[in-house]
Amino acid sequence: MFKIWLALASIGGMASLVAIAWLFCRQLLPLSRAIDKLGEWLGVIASWLVLLACLVSAINATVRYLISYSSNAWLELQWYMFAGMVLLGAAYTLKVNEHVRVDLIYGAISDRARHWIDLLGGAIFLTPMCLVMIWFTWPWFVQAWTLNESSSNAGGLIRWPVILLLPVGFVLILLQGFSEMIKRAAALRGFHQHEYAYEKPLQ
Amino acid sequence: MMDVIRANLGPMMFAGLVLFLLIGYPAAFSLAAVGLFFGFVAIEMGVISHTYMGNLTFQLYSIISNDLLLSIPFFTFMGAVLERCGLAEDLLDSIGQLFGGVRGGLSYAVIFVGAILGAITGTVAASVIAMGVISLPVMMRYGYNMRHATGVIAASGTITQLIPPSLVLIVLADVMGKSVGDMYAGAIGPSIVQVALFCIWVMILSILKPEQVPALPPEARVLSGWPLALKCIRGIVPSGALIFLVLGTIFLGLATPTEAGAMGAVGSLLLAAMYRTLTWKLTYQAMSSTMRITAMVTFILIGARVFSLVFQGVGGGLWIEHMLTGLPGGQVGFLTFTMVFIFFIAFFLDFFEIAFIIIPLLAPAATKLDINLIWFGLLICANIQTAFMHPPFGFALFYLRGIAPPQVKSRDIYLGSIPWIVLQLILVGLMIVFPEMVTYWLEKPVTLDPAALQKQFDALPSVGTFELEGLTLPKP
Repeated sequence: MFKIWLALASIGGMASLVAIAWLFCRQLLPLSRAIDKLGEWLGVIASWLVLLACLVSAINATVRYLISYSSNAWLELQWYMFAGMVLLGAAYTLKVNEHVRVDLIYGAISDRARHWIDLLGGAIFLTPMCLVMIWFTWPWFVQAWTLNESSSNAGGLIRWPVILLLPVGFVLILLQGFSEMIKRAAALRGFHQHEYAYEKPLQ
Repeated sequence: MMDVIRANLGPMMFAGLVLFLLIGYPAAFSLAAVGLFFGFVAIEMGVISHTYMGNLTFQLYSIISNDLLLSIPFFTFMGAVLERCGLAEDLLDSIGQLFGGVRGGLSYAVIFVGAILGAITGTVAASVIAMGVISLPVMMRYGYNMRHATGVIAASGTITQLIPPSLVLIVLADVMGKSVGDMYAGAIGPSIVQVALFCIWVMILSILKPEQVPALPPEARVLSGWPLALKCIRGIVPSGALIFLVLGTIFLGLATPTEAGAMGAVGSLLLAAMYRTLTWKLTYQAMSSTMRITAMVTFILIGARVFSLVFQGVGGGLWIEHMLTGLPGGQVGFLTFTMVFIFFIAFFLDFFEIAFIIIPLLAPAATKLDINLIWFGLLICANIQTAFMHPPFGFALFYLRGIAPPQVKSRDIYLGSIPWIVLQLILVGLMIVFPEMVTYWLEKPVTLDPAALQKQFDALPSVGTFELEGLTLPKP
């Protein structure tokens, strides 16, 4: 019986999320702009991590070859940066609409229908997925933090910063997803001109 | 009723995946959502246990701590810098002049430059755009057939997929649990055959329909002798240096593919500085687009792992494997089916979606049928190449459309691509008939003492996620 209530509650949650975005989109637009700003700002950090990771990796390889010196800290720093660019940059990527879609149908329908897909998809796919991910990864961070876990490799780095990136990344996507829902609802109701049309990403 | 559902969760999940992907919400999030939804249904029905979902954290961790995935931003960054640095322009100019006097000379030049650019980096956009901007106007001016000109440019841009150091091969190696070095070594043969096939086609054209591929008149060949040689050297020496920096260090074992990618990226920045095209704007654009592509790709992988964790848990993996190994004709039946399937699915799915969602489902069946995974991976790679070329969604055609002068009709671009798609399919066919093309370049397998190997595997800590990583224990 409890399970049925839980299922009904989650459906109710999704519906009310759509309703909130729909009804209050005008009042929520400033919030959406603030979230977008945060995403942009973290996107800049994530972009910088690309260059830094390149330099660290190239220098590390050269130094190892020339004077046979290497430390696990440098190796681990590279993938910490990778985690950073992915998890801090994903929200910005969502904002500029560059997460790849299967556009067999999406490519052929009107802008309004696309806004509806993004609005409903945000509530049905993105929000529950982020919540579950946060629910799974947060206790893991707490554990790494309290036990002060660090890498088992000699000279390895402390673990909690990179594990913290996971729940933080999903919170950012959750927020950005809500911001997108507000903007789509506002666009559907005519308060907002949506700026990022979907294009397939370049390869 | 419940029992029927319980037994068929795998197929239902697969149907759900197709349905939800078709809606057009970003694939990464739909995938993860389908996975999690069915995960809770499966827990509810007692098919998988509560604790099984705890593997999610391991999956996430194994993605972000994967060294090989780091090569995605590195190679993408390298491509994004090279795209705008002027190297391709120099190469095309000089090699075009060199071959210009021959019938079909400009086509050969485009094919060779495509191959050289392919050996430096792995992005289709860079090659197609550069060649379209420089060679297409020249080819049009001197009376090349429009369909042939656009076709050869689009096709030569896509060969970078198969030529090492291609990002596609790195990702395939990772998904299949093979070494990138082996994947690259195996790709040498097919790459050579592909370039040869393209050249043979141009040669056939120049004999049968010489009016489609005229030689450049002498007045168009402004350079000759020493100035031409110097110009060629100016284009080829830096390319050679970059090729060594990336491929050489991998094959000599000096650097991992990831590090080679990083060195290539730094090298391309230096090259851009040498060509005096390095600006802060160019660098930041490259950084930012690289970051977005990396985030997009990695999230598809996250979504795919969430999906496949549950899919394996409810027995969907076995269902697919039974279906595929049960195909009539054994190996041949399996290969025919998968190749045709991938050719068509590539109309709708992007490479990374195919690599992360479809290939983990195919690889176990291939292993079971005793198919060499490197060979299988390269077949898939050669096959997926066509996806860049087929109308109406092919990226190569798309880029070409973007930069072609207005008198080039879309119709010409689309029709022009057809012979080249056929050539690529011939390559796939040849690779199936002559697997030696791949295996010749692979080192002979080292024979190991099975007992010692088993001991080592027993000593490995088990995390229970092995088969999902594309790793299978070798049969001792």
